[in-house]
Amino acid sequence: MSDKSSKDDKAKSAGQGGSGAAKLSVQQIEKELEQYPSPVAERFRLANGSLSGRLADETLQEWAATGLDIARKTVRSWEAASEFFDSSSAVQRQLPSGQFLRWGRTGSSLCGESPALAVAFFKASPSAMLRLRPRYIDDWATVTRSLYRGTWKSSALAARLFESTPKLLETLSFDEFCSFGGFLEVLSRRSYDSASDSLNAGVDLFPRLGSDSDHFIALARAVSESSWREVKDLFDAGTDALVPLPSAQRVALLSLARRLNAMGSGDSGALLRAGSKAVTSVQADSRDKLLELTDRLASVHAAAAPEFLKSAPGVLERVTFAQMAEWHARGAQISQENPDAAVSFFKLESAAASETLDALSSSIELTRVRDVLRMYCQALTGHPIEVSAAQQLADKNIGWFQGELPTTEGTTVYLPSVINRYLTKDDNFSFYKVVSTHQIGHIEFGSFDFNFGRPSSMFDDLRPDLPGAEKVAAEIESDARLQQQMELSQSVMAGEELHLQEAGAAAADGDEAAPAQREFLTDMSRFFDLFPDNKLALDVFTIVESTRVDSLVTEAYRGIADKYRTVQESALENRPELEELPARESLVEFLIRWSLGQRDGLVAPKDHLDAARKVRRLLERMRTSEATVEDAAEATIRIYSILENVLNEDVDEDEFESVDPDEQSEEGEDESGGDDEVDRNDVIQQFMQGAETQAGDEEQSEDGADSEQSQDEAPGEQDYSSPQEIDYRGEFKPELSQLLSQLQLGDGSEMGEEIEGMEPISQEQLEELMKNAPEMDPQNLEEGEEGQEAPNTDELIENLMKELQKRDPQNQQFQQGPMQHVDEDGGPLDATELNTFTYDEWDFRAGEYKPRWCLVHEKEMADGEPNFFRDTLTDNSSLLARIRKQFELVVPEQYRKQKRLEDGEEQDLDAVLEAVIDMKIGITPDEKVYWRRNKTERSVSVAFLLDMSASTAEAIDEAKKPSDDWGAPDDPVEYMVWLRSRRAEGLRRSYKRIVDVEKEGIVLLVNALETLGDSYGIYGFSGYGRENVEYYVIKDLEEKFSDRVPRRIDRIAPLHATRMGPAIRHTAAKLADVDARSRFLFLISDGRPQDRGYSREGVEKEYAVHDTRQALIEAKKQGITPFCLTVDKSGHDYLKTMMEDFSYEVLPDINMLPARLPQLYRALTT
Amino acid sequence: MTTKQDYREIRVEEYVVDEEPFYVPTADEIDVFEAAYRQRVPVLLKGPTGTGKTRFVEYMSWRIGQSLGAPAQPASDNVSANGHLPLVTVACHEDLTASDLVGRYLLDSNGTRWIDGPLTRAVKAGGICYLDEVVEARKDTTVIIHPLTDHRRTLTIDKLGEVIEASDGFLLVVSYNPGYQNAMKDLKHSTRQRFIALEFDFPDEEREAQIIAHESGVDEGNAELLARLGAKIRNLREHGLEEGASTRVLIYAGRLIKEGVTARRACQVGVTWGITDDPQIQRSIDEVVSSIFP
Repeated sequence: MSDKSSKDDKAKSAGQGGSGAAKLSVQQIEKELEQYPSPVAERFRLANGSLSGRLADETLQEWAATGLDIARKTVRSWEAASEFFDSSSAVQRQLPSGQFLRWGRTGSSLCGESPALAVAFFKASPSAMLRLRPRYIDDWATVTRSLYRGTWKSSALAARLFESTPKLLETLSFDEFCSFGGFLEVLSRRSYDSASDSLNAGVDLFPRLGSDSDHFIALARAVSESSWREVKDLFDAGTDALVPLPSAQRVALLSLARRLNAMGSGDSGALLRAGSKAVTSVQADSRDKLLELTDRLASVHAAAAPEFLKSAPGVLERVTFAQMAEWHARGAQISQENPDAAVSFFKLESAAASETLDALSSSIELTRVRDVLRMYCQALTGHPIEVSAAQQLADKNIGWFQGELPTTEGTTVYLPSVINRYLTKDDNFSFYKVVSTHQIGHIEFGSFDFNFGRPSSMFDDLRPDLPGAEKVAAEIESDARLQQQMELSQSVMAGEELHLQEAGAAAADGDEAAPAQREFLTDMSRFFDLFPDNKLALDVFTIVESTRVDSLVTEAYRGIADKYRTVQESALENRPELEELPARESLVEFLIRWSLGQRDGLVAPKDHLDAARKVRRLLERMRTSEATVEDAAEATIRIYSILENVLNEDVDEDEFESVDPDEQSEEGEDESGGDDEVDRNDVIQQFMQGAETQAGDEEQSEDGADSEQSQDEAPGEQDYSSPQEIDYRGEFKPELSQLLSQLQLGDGSEMGEEIEGMEPISQEQLEELMKNAPEMDPQNLEEGEEGQEAPNTDELIENLMKELQKRDPQNQQFQQGPMQHVDEDGGPLDATELNTFTYDEWDFRAGEYKPRWCLVHEKEMADGEPNFFRDTLTDNSSLLARIRKQFELVVPEQYRKQKRLEDGEEQDLDAVLEAVIDMKIGITPDEKVYWRRNKTERSVSVAFLLDMSASTAEAIDEAKKPSDDWGAPDDPVEYMVWLRSRRAEGLRRSYKRIVDVEKEGIVLLVNALETLGDSYGIYGFSGYGRENVEYYVIKDLEEKFSDRVPRRIDRIAPLHATRMGPAIRHTAAKLADVDARSRFLFLISDGRPQDRGYSREGVEKEYAVHDTRQALIEAKKQGITPFCLTVDKSGHDYLKTMMEDFSYEVLPDINMLPARLPQLYRALTT
Repeated sequence: MTTKQDYREIRVEEYVVDEEPFYVPTADEIDVFEAAYRQRVPVLLKGPTGTGKTRFVEYMSWRIGQSLGAPAQPASDNVSANGHLPLVTVACHEDLTASDLVGRYLLDSNGTRWIDGPLTRAVKAGGICYLDEVVEARKDTTVIIHPLTDHRRTLTIDKLGEVIEASDGFLLVVSYNPGYQNAMKDLKHSTRQRFIALEFDFPDEEREAQIIAHESGVDEGNAELLARLGAKIRNLREHGLEEGASTRVLIYAGRLIKEGVTARRACQVGVTWGITDDPQIQRSIDEVVSSIFP
């Protein structure tokens, strides 16, 4: 304060000095100025030179005096004066002399505040004056000066604003500039850094927003007042989200954001982003409507509006805009009844939301029909087939790349995640069905069972005579021999010494075929290796094989034939025009169209009509029920040989002639006589040549793969590129599929054995294999997905290697997948991996379930040491005896006398008397005069659910903690051993934790339960986050007690958090599968349920309690009796809510647990 | 020997299969059974429900009865004059006790009277006694069965203090379905090792089509499709279904089709809804049906 006043004094004195200077002549002033550093006088002279002609002498004098005034103000103000002179000439040109002098005075008074401000003011002036009306000069200075609060940061900010003014004024009106300044002022009270960032961002942003900047500034100001920390994000969002929007929606969105901000519904930046995304995702004519909907929602329930915008793009992927409006209306209705429920509705987290959406939408999501399709596929093939989203396979990066195309690798059918091509749900589902039937067809009709050596059924086999086939035959033979050896050596091991010598001989025989060095090949790759151009071969094989499968499918499943037809027809609509393709490609396309059922309007290049007819005839032969995959292979060889002779050159449109669909039937008849479409020897000759040139190519060019084809290409020939995929057939990868399936086949299959006899495939072998695989052709990949980078082959092979190891039956270890982090705001989860399960979670505020909200990972508990079990039994032998006695008493109670039976152990005296009396009277007596002790079988099934949360690591009794090392041995060697063992145990045994007592209780109970014969399971649970609920099986319900159970009990240890709901649901699901008259769920816990995100907005603990309660109610509905035993002394408060109507007990002393647990159990179950 | 007072139209032990039942053999089970019968070795029929176990017993009873002829059995006047072999079938249930099989005293106005159970009657009459789903019966029945299944071929009736030597034509045949009973109801080894076991499974598609066509009268085309449907549904065993569709339900569906019900609907009511209550599986099976049937 004092500082400021002193400054004021200075200014005043300077002002007086100024009035003094006013009387000086220009020359005198110049002289005065010379005492300042040289630039001042220099610039003065320069400016004076240019101004003297333009200004009246008086004005000039006043101007010069102002300059001197400025220079005199403070020590550093000469810099301001220098800037003043520097810009004077330019400024003067813009202003009348009165205004010009005023400008100088304004600067001068600024200089009184801070010379740095004045410097910035003068510097910015020349260009600012271009856009600023003279009368605003004062306001300009005032607004900017308001940022200055005497600190260095504030002066830097104000200076920066001066500097930016010209730029800002390019788009902002002066009023807007003022409000921006006002915003900066407000923000700068919070943070100068933030204000300065905003200023910079604004300079960039406003030109791009144009006339809508005022709305943005208004919003920014509102945000800076309510939550200034979000301002930075707001500017970022403005740049990202607003710039691309058309002006109308920009304004609407901004005013919406302002309204919401005023209502206290935060994060405007996120809103802008969501809004922009939503707006750009709809048609131009619906955009205003979308914002109007949001607006309307905002007036009902502010918090729901942003969620609506966020969900809108996803919703619009499934339904039309009008349908979304209906969905919105439903949500708006809900928001009137229950605002909380509306938020989860619009977040798409509530069941009501998805149901409404489902009812409206005609699209089908894979997740909804996956189970149906899976069973459908299993029924058709008779194998356990999985159904997954295609993207998952693509994500594995093992050779399949197109996330939205259906495919299979022999065990799983991969389908697009959503189908929305038709107007009705039925049609969309039919598409799924056709697609899966086709994929299943490959499995059912043996596409992946190709065996190189197996003869075809309708061709005179060419395979054995082609170059390279001999090698293949030799390999197959050596494989067979190898297998024989394996069998022999196995029988030797079995003790049949007779074979020993033979085996030795065989081994000696076979050692020239050293198996480890041999290439690892599938029959499919052996086949493709025969072809010089294996890409063309794969394409042809794909068409031929798919045709065969289609024909077999429609034959076997006539009910689906119509739908199949529809899908094929729509596939035809998207095919490229034949006339636009080069010759060879057009013939391939011709085949595809034929295979899809097109008959009319097919054309082929005039010169190749004969070839077209031939290949068509070959393809048509696949349409019989006898055709096998080997037939498809033989047909492929023939078609290939024909196509290879067709140069892939451009053909004029009028060079195409139609291929009459009818002639085929006539010729087809004499063709069936057995005449091949091609001459055997010609084909063999052709392949020979191909093989030679290929070999030559490889020698010539090591790295130039492209030259391979260029060798004998005629001019005008184009590189052959594969045809566009057919949507319902998807990606067909016979070679990879065969490779993958070989490793997972069990012992039953010959292929599997053949492979198992060898070493597992090594990375080098795999690389070798992949190098030649047409499916891996990088050119193929590029075409598949435009713009996507061609996947790195090394990475690919590595992934494939991993996949193979995972599938290796000898390598079935449970591997924990990478911990994926799913945000709490995310949607439903999917159980994609083995032994994972999803469960809904109860949102008590919304009053409904969040569907598939939690992911339970079930794992078997690892084996520990058996000592704990043994020690506990010995330590508690007297307690144990008592428990046993109690339990043994339970058994006789099960015998009850049953009376009035037709037959039994003895006559019941009462009944007999009655009967005799009846007889005497002459009435037919009641025959039921027997009684019997009936053993009503005890049928009890109980699951113990142990809380393994981190809190169970708490020591029970601090006093018992050994405080010293009195037990340490004196001998140094012994001491080291002792210390190490203590460290190894991590002090675990030195004091008791809650979990240890839990374990003890379980041990004693297990022992007692074995006498009772009840079926029981022991499970532990913990986890962190809804996507990682860990569920450990210590003993499964149906599992017999073995020495592994004590070992697993040993490993029970405190882990993470306590999300009880899903654990209870999972246990209940297990119990529900058990056939028992009474079922119990016994929850042993040490505190309230809690977990990351197991609450609403992170604060309400009741959320967890209510979800747990809901899970217990669900269990009850399934006929399970829940019971909760807790050692949490403060447990009564929440247990009252959680266990309302259920039994529970709070143990006052944890040490009672081992004794109490069996007692409770007995009381509960008898 | 047997009691004369009987109010039933046909006495249990006099029931014979007169007409040749339709039976399509899947392997050599007929020869094996005949051999077993000649040697009087008890037979255990295993297999899921609806695979023709009962039909097989009927057929064998008829077939052996035909081959016996009247003169082959001069000793027993109880074997029907036309030479057929009596067939006593007892469907076992969980409350079936030994006395239900052997017989019991009934009270009447004059005191009590003894009545033979079906097993006793079959032992006396010398026919085939077929205990269907034998594991369902109470454990005490096995004690009765044991002496009948070894060299003794006797039935002890302790309430009467009698031991009955089985008539020459008597043979015990039991059936059991290893699939759906739980472990508790498994057949004890001491029992099961007294029988030769014939395994029954669903016939292959071709045979099943033949059976369906014959039994339901539906045309061959539909019979083939029904058989295919059966095979496909059986693929779901252990994957959601406890039991596949039996030939019987396929025949029922066939009958409905013959009566003019559309094929898809007939399969829905005859097959899908019958074999499972799970809506998901129903949906899946419906999809299979609609794929197979046009």
